[in-house]
Amino acid sequence: MAVKMRLKRMGSKKAPFYRIIVADSRAPRDGKFIDQIGTYDPTVEPSAFNVDEEKAKQWLANGAQPTDTVNKLLKNAGIL
Amino acid sequence: MTSHIILDNNDGTNKKSKATTKLDQIVELSLLYDFYGKLLKDHQREIYEDYILNDLSLSEIASEQDISRQGVHDIIKRCSKQLMDYEAKLQLIEKFNNTKDRVNQINVYAKSIKETGCLDKIDEIEKLSYQILDEF
Repeated sequence: MAVKMRLKRMGSKKAPFYRIIVADSRAPRDGKFIDQIGTYDPTVEPSAFNVDEEKAKQWLANGAQPTDTVNKLLKNAGIL
Repeated sequence: MTSHIILDNNDGTNKKSKATTKLDQIVELSLLYDFYGKLLKDHQREIYEDYILNDLSLSEIASEQDISRQGVHDIIKRCSKQLMDYEAKLQLIEKFNNTKDRVNQINVYAKSIKETGCLDKIDEIEKLSYQILDEF
């Protein structure tokens, strides 16, 4: 079972806010996710990225695939 | 009096470094989607939402929708362009951002009035409130 790490847009209209979630790639649309490992808030300057580093590393070690965007965030945070 | 010290905050010299990354792009496009998304056709909107809001890859969307990856790519490109055209014509986001800046400024003034009781920024507030109205 392929597991992905993605961004999930939350937040109210016109105030984007994202969660970084871990979800099964085969059920992409139903909104279910296995775990939440962090948040990303682009509305503040500089944008705020919070991630549970331990969880993130563990999921990566277990073969979870980050999307391009999450990959970028993790790289910026020095986790990848 | 000395209330202006608090108001001398940063003048917003933003450093938009590097070429816009996919991340910035997604944030920007999701803002466009907030304002104009309802104008997309249902089918397009579903695909666009998956890409922008749920961070699915093109191939994931393609298999979900049972169309080709290229087809998804085209739809997303077309939708983005459509939304940008709306913004170019209507400038709702730009106006929204301007209003937000002005409201923030008013809040700063109001706060300083509360703290110092000094009313010399009242005129500024009045001016800003008219500017907000004028833009629409």
